Amino acid sequence: MRLQLPGRKSATIPRMHGNFWSCLSGVAVAAAIALFPSPVFASEGQDTCLMCHKYPGLGRYEVDANKRVVKRVFYVNEDLHKASYHGKLNCSDCHEGVDKIPHTDAKKVDCGKSCHVIEPSTGKVFSHKAIVEDLKKSTHGVEGSRAKNKDDLPACRDCHANKPYQLGFQGQTKSMAFLQVCHQCHEEQAWAERFFRHVNYRASIRRPSAEVVKLCSKCHANPGVMARHKLDVIAGFQDTYHAKAIQYGDVEVANCLNCHAPYALGFSPHRITSKRNKNSPTNADNKRATCSQSGCHIEATKAFATGSKVHISPVKAASLMEEAEESADVARNREVFQARILHWIKLFYQILIAAVIGGLGGHRLLDLYATHRDSKKGGH
Amino acid sequence: MSRHGKSEKAFVRLTKSERVQHVIMFVSTTLLIITGFMLMGEKSAIDLLGAAGKSIFYWRGIVHRIAAAAVTAVCFYHLYYVMFKADGKSWLRDMLPKPKDLVDAYQNVMYMLGLRKIRPKLDRFTYLEKLEYFSVYFGMFIVISTGAMMWTQSYWPKFYLDVADALHLGEATLAALAIIVGHVFAVHYNPHVYPMNRAFIDGKISETLMKEEHSLWYERIIAEERSKPANGAEGGRGNA
Repeated sequence: MRLQLPGRKSATIPRMHGNFWSCLSGVAVAAAIALFPSPVFASEGQDTCLMCHKYPGLGRYEVDANKRVVKRVFYVNEDLHKASYHGKLNCSDCHEGVDKIPHTDAKKVDCGKSCHVIEPSTGKVFSHKAIVEDLKKSTHGVEGSRAKNKDDLPACRDCHANKPYQLGFQGQTKSMAFLQVCHQCHEEQAWAERFFRHVNYRASIRRPSAEVVKLCSKCHANPGVMARHKLDVIAGFQDTYHAKAIQYGDVEVANCLNCHAPYALGFSPHRITSKRNKNSPTNADNKRATCSQSGCHIEATKAFATGSKVHISPVKAASLMEEAEESADVARNREVFQARILHWIKLFYQILIAAVIGGLGGHRLLDLYATHRDSKKGGH
Repeated sequence: MSRHGKSEKAFVRLTKSERVQHVIMFVSTTLLIITGFMLMGEKSAIDLLGAAGKSIFYWRGIVHRIAAAAVTAVCFYHLYYVMFKADGKSWLRDMLPKPKDLVDAYQNVMYMLGLRKIRPKLDRFTYLEKLEYFSVYFGMFIVISTGAMMWTQSYWPKFYLDVADALHLGEATLAALAIIVGHVFAVHYNPHVYPMNRAFIDGKISETLMKEEHSLWYERIIAEERSKPANGAEGGRGNA
């Protein structure tokens, strides 16, 4: 099997029992212990960790809670790490309790902990704690979710890989020129470059629409996960005009976040709430504001924004049509009615097309046959 | 063998105005079908466009709207044409369905099946041409009204737009297929006119084709010409 590792084009790994990799990492660790006495590991700093973690083969297969074999890669590419958002941090700033070899004492990374970095606007120690708290209260968090089983709610890492800053060509050339201005005052060139890249990156479109849809689809297009949370699979989105524009490469057209967490209206992807929440941008009372945000359907009327789902899934539409009995829920009845009307229109055209094209085609073929027959008889 | 050689007598099938209307309709409809069905493209096919996809998508929308405006204009002009112009009035009069069309259809099918010896004599417009013509009225009513709704989408309830979208797609699919199976066959692959009926270019129809496909109309014109010898020059226009 081919395995893509950061920093290497690819590595071919034999498909065999997971123990092989456990053994290999064990050998590497043992060799490292032999070469460097334990006090070295006790000291902080990336270089120490990279003594082992710089080797691309470092990793193992594990059996997870669902009894599936998962691949764990412990290799760290130093160049990629330095270019990443967290490139300035030491390993131990996030990975606490890795004093022992093997790291049986390692704690789970807590993105909400305080960093060893000072946040310049307040002068306080920097932390993602506020965002972690927001997420907890959101529909994706343990406090905000209505799900009974909260095991598979998304964590920070499900959406955020510690990627290198990637600026478009235009951004890079601007950085090159503009950085010279920064360097007039800020002596530390690496710091200035990092700061500039941070601001430039955050000011531009962070993720193209196609990437956002792909990211959300990891869970929201997964029938198993959606069934566990009693939600609809977002298959219907693929039929929308927004989805088509995204497929053609439009990066500005509305993706999931533009409607479910529009930054322009003061929302954030970390505070996504259900449409039942009165403050949600997808709540019926707020949808008009969401649709008519700057650059979108600025003339949107309330009727345009409400009254029907933006991307109902075909599975949901089919199940709605099976609901023969009228329920007490008015909104539900309306959904059933709408699904039926759309179904009838499709059915009408399917029958009409089959009849017209079949009849027309049959007539033409018959005409060809008759002309052929006549020409054989010596007629026209 | 050419069935409408230059030496042959020719009759006017389409006036200049009708040909101009047809060309606008033909070019716009082709553009509308292409740019419209681009929205139904598979992702794998769209991916082949690469970085150009974004601008292609932008122009797709612009071209679709320009073509839609052109086809709408020509449709309204045609309504004016058949109501107020002499040529148009005779066009509509000859186009209106009559009980004879049903008889023609029955007799022609029987003939094609070999259950009847001779083809029925058809008039200026055959029953299939009439069906095609009035289908365009129905189709245009659907696509223009639903298209206009989607063009002004911000003012309509979302569900109405969903209905408009479903109707627009259904009618466009029907129209595109009918044009290919019905019209393109009739004017290109019909053995009598293969490879192309040139009437949409020069507006003329040969005497041979007149006798073959519109014999009743042909007889009517000849009878008229005989009764009025002064107007009997070549290229006389039927009952216009």
